[in-house]
Amino acid sequence: MSGPVKKIENFKVEFDEKRILTLIGYKKRPKEIKEPIKSLIAEEKKKLDNLLHPASIYTIIDYAVTNKHPIFKDAEKVAICVCTIGPELEQEIKKLMEKNEMTRALILDALGSEAAEEVAIQSDRILAEKARKMNLWPSKRFSPGYGKWDIREQRFIFRLLPAADIGVRLTESCMMVPRKSVSFRINFYKEQRLSTRKKGT
Amino acid sequence: MSTQEILARMEKAMVEGNKEEAEALAKEATKQRLDLNEVIDKVYVPGIQKVGDLWEKGEYFLPELITSAECVKGTMSVLQPEIEKSLISAKSKGKAVIRTVKGDIHDIGKNLVASMLAANGFQVVDLGADVKLEEFIEIAEAENTDFICLSALLTTTKLAQKKVIEILRKKTSEAGVKFWWEVHR
Ligand code: B12
Repeated sequence: MSGPVKKIENFKVEFDEKRILTLIGYKKRPKEIKEPIKSLIAEEKKKLDNLLHPASIYTIIDYAVTNKHPIFKDAEKVAICVCTIGPELEQEIKKLMEKNEMTRALILDALGSEAAEEVAIQSDRILAEKARKMNLWPSKRFSPGYGKWDIREQRFIFRLLPAADIGVRLTESCMMVPRKSVSFRINFYKEQRLSTRKKGT
Repeated sequence: MSTQEILARMEKAMVEGNKEEAEALAKEATKQRLDLNEVIDKVYVPGIQKVGDLWEKGEYFLPELITSAECVKGTMSVLQPEIEKSLISAKSKGKAVIRTVKGDIHDIGKNLVASMLAANGFQVVDLGADVKLEEFIEIAEAENTDFICLSALLTTTKLAQKKVIEILRKKTSEAGVKFWWEVHR
């Protein structure tokens, strides 16, 4: 059975400074971030209120409704979800690049990546909680393009979810537009397994 | 300001990534009618070298490299028209054609590479993102390019890189073309 399709829009995105520094290229953390980079990060962060429009869309389906890909094996139900921060941030990045503001573009791009990731983390938590309410055991979050789940499996997700309702579409090469979008699944199992997660995670 | 002083401050601004200062000094240099090719040789070449050394030492990271590249681009936009007016062509280390492959829209990494190449004295023809393969090869040939740079981030779009390489191998088996592409694991 396919469950109803639902949307989440009330996200409060927080940033992990360390991850942003890694994303913009600080392979190891320097003692201090020097000027002008330090101010640029602070300034780009201030723009975010207007640039982030986070939303996610999900549905919870029975195993029978899946395409029976081995990664769904033994799952009682599967939650699939698409998350995005919207297109506005990317438009701003484009403007910055056109103005030869490459460092700002790099920083804003990292902030956008981190925000998209954060929307996925929060959606994931909500879905894991739903599994528990159904007395099922949620697996970790997995995305097409990682490990055994080929990126072309994006097509399966987009067949089942009207992601256009949150403004996300899939291109022929399986890219999501807007770029700062994430898709994932969580398997819900009847019994606890090595791969299911602990309470509160 | 003496010539020496301008040159020293320009190099400092570039290494520290101070764009406003670098551009102001470039304007000053043109106003004082300094030999602009000498400015490039004495400021940019060692400046970008210094930035590279700091990167190697682990003191500079990608954002610092990019900021310096921005300085170079900013000041070159001041110097270039003057250099062209004086009919001396700036030396180029080679010409690169760069694009993000068709089907992929990731262009930030590609743009970073393009600005870094430009800052290091290469002529860059940037064809943007999502360019058709045939068109790209045609332009690369017409431009008589030394380097072809391709960017793709997804398994699905990386196939386009393979295709370009195959086509070029066939076309230029004896021409000694260099392949340079970014592979993601
Ligand atoms: C941040 C990130 C995200 C962010 C932002 C994505 C974005 N594109 O904006 C978010 C969280 C949204 C995301 C989502 C997804 N991602 Co992602 N993501 C990454 C990550 C960790 C970093 C990419 C990045 O922004 N780097 C920073 C920029 C500045 O660097 P860059 O573009 O790589 O460019 C540098 C170099 O590559 C190089 N370079 C680039 N071009 C060129 C060209 C030449 C000629 C040269 C010499 C050098 C060069 O120089 C640049 C400067 O250093 C990579 C893994 C990785 N470490 O690369 C995965 C990665 C790209 N993602 C991946 C996947 C699978 C996805 C998703 C499909 C997952 C999903 N199902 O939701 C989605 C797809 C999104 C979409 N729009 O379709 C895979 C792709 C692999 C594959 N199988 O195709 C990767 C490789 C991770 C993995 N599995 O290992 N992702």
